[in-house]
Amino acid sequence: MTSRNLENLVKTGNLQAEPFDLNEFNSLVRSADARLADARNTELSIESRFDLAYNAAHALSLAALRRLGYRSKNRYTVFQCIPHTLGIGPEIWRVLALCHERRNRAEYEGHIDFDEQLVNECLAAAEALSAAIHELDDAGKP
Amino acid sequence: MRTTSARRCRRTSTLIIPNLGIIVPNMGMMPQQQGGLASALFSKTQRRVLGLLFGNAERSYYANEIVRLAGVGIGTVQRELNKLAAAGLITVRKVGNQKHYQANHESPIFTELQGIALKTFGIADVIREALATLGGDVHYAFIYGSIATGADTARSDIDVMIVGTGLSYGDAVGVLGEVEPRLGRPVNPTLYSPSELRRKLADDSAFLKRLLAQPKIFLIGTEDDLP
Repeated sequence: MTSRNLENLVKTGNLQAEPFDLNEFNSLVRSADARLADARNTELSIESRFDLAYNAAHALSLAALRRLGYRSKNRYTVFQCIPHTLGIGPEIWRVLALCHERRNRAEYEGHIDFDEQLVNECLAAAEALSAAIHELDDAGKP
Repeated sequence: MRTTSARRCRRTSTLIIPNLGIIVPNMGMMPQQQGGLASALFSKTQRRVLGLLFGNAERSYYANEIVRLAGVGIGTVQRELNKLAAAGLITVRKVGNQKHYQANHESPIFTELQGIALKTFGIADVIREALATLGGDVHYAFIYGSIATGADTARSDIDVMIVGTGLSYGDAVGVLGEVEPRLGRPVNPTLYSPSELRRKLADDSAFLKRLLAQPKIFLIGTEDDLP
């Protein structure tokens, strides 16, 4: 079921199939965990913490997708695949999709407004992804 | 004690009825009642069909899509579509062997119908219904941005500001995500607690100042609730 959903996204051109690469996977997870640790630092500005948490979440979501042999350059698609790659409920990818939208508005349209609540929920989402990925690690790589 | 309540009574002209166990029915208007305004004018099928076509006036739909999104039977939907097309309120275009229906921008009452659809069954009622299932305590909520100002395109998001306590983005995107297919557009919520909103305004947030000055479509509460 899961792989069929991902295969359909390949057919529609939203995902590309690409063989798994352990080095890439490990560096994505390592870099995400480093950013996640910094995102928890409340000494930093809210803008920096948002960027760090959001990018950590993206790296972890991409790692999960790469683990199954897929890639996408579209961040929205990468988040959308989370229920299929990590089996995590829809609220996580929806919060991250909203963060993606906010980030685009800030970067490209000048709507700069990060509220603390969104930063905290983005961080919580990234932490949930990290926990799920590290559980996979213990269960062995594909 | 008596003077205070007498003064309050005079100032707000509220009738104070002593609690003697009498059941006093509230016979006031209920402007926020679900479908209140629109159900007086249109049947359920008409609200669903008009809501879809005029709430998303920049795109066309084929009949089966309307049936699926409106959640109404094919027979009634087809009847409404034929009636609307005959009156020139919607256009019909053949694409392959499918008929595509779209709100007719050339109709003399296009703007008025679109306004009704946006403020009631097309968007506002759908989102209000979704917000009713939101946890926490919503003090007020409104649509702002391109939909409220009328500058929207088929690709515009629906920007919703929700002010209240005990709200979460996870919950909000969950309940709003459920109604996105019916709306045909993504909903982009922004949450604030009343205290955070006041603090940001005191900090001179350019985003909030611009937002509060723009036209809004109220979903819960009124303009008077704004700080």
